[in-house]
Amino acid sequence: MKQLSIEREGAVPASVRTDLEQVFRAAYPKVVGVAARVLGSRDEAEDVAQEAFLAFGRTSVPAGEAVGWLCVAAAHTALNHLRSGRRRASREEAATGAGAVAPDIADAVITLDERRRVRAALSRLPRKQAIALVLRHSGLSYAEVAAALELSPGSVGTTVRRAETALRKELGHASPE
Amino acid sequence: MPHPSDGLLRRLADEPDGVADLDREHVTACARCRSRMADSEADALLVEAALRFDVEPDVDAAWNRLLGATAPAAAPVPARRRFALRSPVVAVIGVVALLGGASAAAAGDWLQIFRTERVAPVTVNQSDLVALPDLSDYGTFRLENRPNVRNVEDVGTARRITGLPSPQVAEFPRGVTGQPRFFVGDQIKAIFTFDRTKAEQALGQRLPEPPPGLEDSQFSLTAGPGLAAVWPEARGVPALIVGRVKAPAAYSTGVPFGTGLDYLLTLPGLPAPVAGQLRSFQNATTLPLLVKSATQVSFTTDVNGRPATVLASRDGAVSTVVWVEKGHVNAVGGTLSSDEVLDVARSLRWKR
Repeated sequence: MKQLSIEREGAVPASVRTDLEQVFRAAYPKVVGVAARVLGSRDEAEDVAQEAFLAFGRTSVPAGEAVGWLCVAAAHTALNHLRSGRRRASREEAATGAGAVAPDIADAVITLDERRRVRAALSRLPRKQAIALVLRHSGLSYAEVAAALELSPGSVGTTVRRAETALRKELGHASPE
Repeated sequence: MPHPSDGLLRRLADEPDGVADLDREHVTACARCRSRMADSEADALLVEAALRFDVEPDVDAAWNRLLGATAPAAAPVPARRRFALRSPVVAVIGVVALLGGASAAAAGDWLQIFRTERVAPVTVNQSDLVALPDLSDYGTFRLENRPNVRNVEDVGTARRITGLPSPQVAEFPRGVTGQPRFFVGDQIKAIFTFDRTKAEQALGQRLPEPPPGLEDSQFSLTAGPGLAAVWPEARGVPALIVGRVKAPAAYSTGVPFGTGLDYLLTLPGLPAPVAGQLRSFQNATTLPLLVKSATQVSFTTDVNGRPATVLASRDGAVSTVVWVEKGHVNAVGGTLSSDEVLDVARSLRWKR
């Protein structure tokens, strides 16, 4: 194993938790995925994920709670980027097709403009709703979302449902009813 | 029985096992709830499509970036160790030197595998720079000869010690006056031996199988001697430096380099953007010059027909041009504009 306790260039400083690399390698793709859903940009998502892991490295969050903690941190940070307008339009990869958006049914049912609008709407949702929604759509289970946001598993569904209803209205899609 | 809540219906769509049997049975039997459930699923599908953004990040590259960001900004590094082991230039030359396909000029038992015929910029950001590999991570790195850079009395002494000609500047840029001071440096020689076990320990993971012979071979990296004339400014900052150094070269005890072409560039530790740029050189005659993207810009040009690279600080205050000529790396730099250093470079004479 890499000697993490020794401070030298190229290694994790001793002031940073020693399980950082293990957690990073296991959780990085998921954390980037959370941020990417909020931001619609791979580059910005990776920037946000780096911020989240840097913060995590200085905490004593138990390893078993790391994924949830990191996903919440990434979602928070990404939403802050959206809300504060720190995004650079030129990096909207989806706009150029350079992103990794799968050319499948998703593209058939929703336009690029709708993607932008839904992200803007996401930034206006109550923060807990927005994060619960993004975490759930990033593949976290109801139990994981509940633990990460300190909700009861039963209320995760309610929170996610409210957020989806709000976003559907934002997109101007008529209620299926 | 009351109708289940919207939240419960939402969960039923995702995790049916998380919903009580009674509720599931109710939804199955209740037309109204089946309709609500269909609405819920439609909204979920719509939002899923809107938020979807598939990413497959390069975890190794990202980890190296994080390492760069967690490194202490001003970590004290003993100068000697930094030069010997952490010099990015040494590290990158080492990597390039270990690429294959080079000319095969025998030098005793050593086979020349890298010689400098040209220079080219390699752009690195701060985190890449910090993450550049330490050759000592990949094996043993021993500096046999140190450069011992020193001031000498006069130009004749500089020529005699180094065996190199001295520069003569035809026309000085505005603000550069007076007599120069001369500095010399001896030849640097370093020996590197690849050690897979050590590399795996340092990197914390298993490495791909190295090409046959790599683990038994030694690599010798040389550069110098060198000579420089330095014109100081009033504030003591060099206004102009003109220097020449015998070009870096690398030798090996004989590993078949063609088979090892991409091996070192694919090892973890070397930032992917740097590896990509080095890979694009496709020969073992191009000396990479690191350009720190945060503070420097670069462009390629020529000095009297020879390819040259200009590095300049982003504020334009400091510029350097580097080019290779007859087995020597030449450089002109100073607190000057890019045009000024190029003018000096293109009008230089060398006196033996």
